[in-house]
Amino acid sequence: MSSLRTTLAGYVGYRGREGHWGFLLHRITGLGVVLFLAIHIVDTALVYFNPALYMEAIRIYQSTLFGIAEVFLVFCIIYHGINGLRVAFFDLIAPSAWAIYRQRVSVRWTLILTLILWIPASIRMLSNLIEHNF
Amino acid sequence: MLTTLKIYRYDPENGGAPHYDTFTLEAQPTDRVLDLLERVRDDHDGTLAFRRSCAHGVCGSDAMRINGRNYLACKVLVKDLGTTEITIEPLLGLPVKKDLVVDMGPFFDHYREVMPYLVNDEEPPEGKERLQTPAERELFDDTTKCILCAACTTSCPVFWANGNYQGPAAIVNAHRFIFDSRDRAAEPRLAVLARQTGVWSCRTAFNCTEACPRDIKVTQAIAEVKRALVRRKPSARR
Repeated sequence: MSSLRTTLAGYVGYRGREGHWGFLLHRITGLGVVLFLAIHIVDTALVYFNPALYMEAIRIYQSTLFGIAEVFLVFCIIYHGINGLRVAFFDLIAPSAWAIYRQRVSVRWTLILTLILWIPASIRMLSNLIEHNF
Repeated sequence: MLTTLKIYRYDPENGGAPHYDTFTLEAQPTDRVLDLLERVRDDHDGTLAFRRSCAHGVCGSDAMRINGRNYLACKVLVKDLGTTEITIEPLLGLPVKKDLVVDMGPFFDHYREVMPYLVNDEEPPEGKERLQTPAERELFDDTTKCILCAACTTSCPVFWANGNYQGPAAIVNAHRFIFDSRDRAAEPRLAVLARQTGVWSCRTAFNCTEACPRDIKVTQAIAEVKRALVRRKPSARR
């Protein structure tokens, strides 16, 4: 018995610890990156098929809404990358690290490292956005 | 102290949609949640269905979701939950038969698939027992502790999404024999776990290890099976 309803009930309702939330964030950031890549492939293809529409797409990218979305995109890429490296390291190189304490601490450090890299980048991106759009 | 129990109820024989019943009863901080369930059944509602057998954390019958997390009801004390509001629900991902009783059939199907028994048709040396060094035993010592309560498998997000996934418990029990120096059937077990529904579906969410009432390092065992799959001879791979 498995269904979308069971899955979502578990995702939201199960009171897991760091691993559960780390897993969910990995899924959400992964979806964010895939969504961006899909849009990006389509808009780049427009250069060949419809250059005028491509320029229109670029103008939309420069809007405030997309500028803010790009700040979150950077978070998605950084978190997904660092967490992916963490999981790969534990799984492929050090299986004994899959112990409760080390797992909890490593998830927290993944988030801290992500914020350390993301906050300066987002400040820079947001200040550029304010400069150009307002 | 007054404790409120919100219990998931479902009785397909008498119709009616799943709902929650609330019971308020006096409890001690050192009471186990199982004690409270028994008190509800004895004093408030005799129709309440839940599994229990040994009531001492050995048989694995009374795994359930308590305040959103998988526990054995006989091992968790009221004071451990840090609240007097306790919500009790059946395990997630298995069909509910009645109230807190789930159909363990799919769980045991996955368990049987990994051949959870010693396979060795060779004659023992000198007709005696098959000896094993402490180091050889250490390789699978942790995974011998499983009591098949399903707390791990039903806390796994991959299992919620795909009931065909073997699940942590089946992998743990495969691990117990794959790394046993006396066993000769590691290859067929690894073949089962190499499928798309095997170990590669694990997303290392770690809920299984957190939920295990026997403190088995489940995610580590899964990683060790992954490693054994990568290292097995190319001729053994399909």
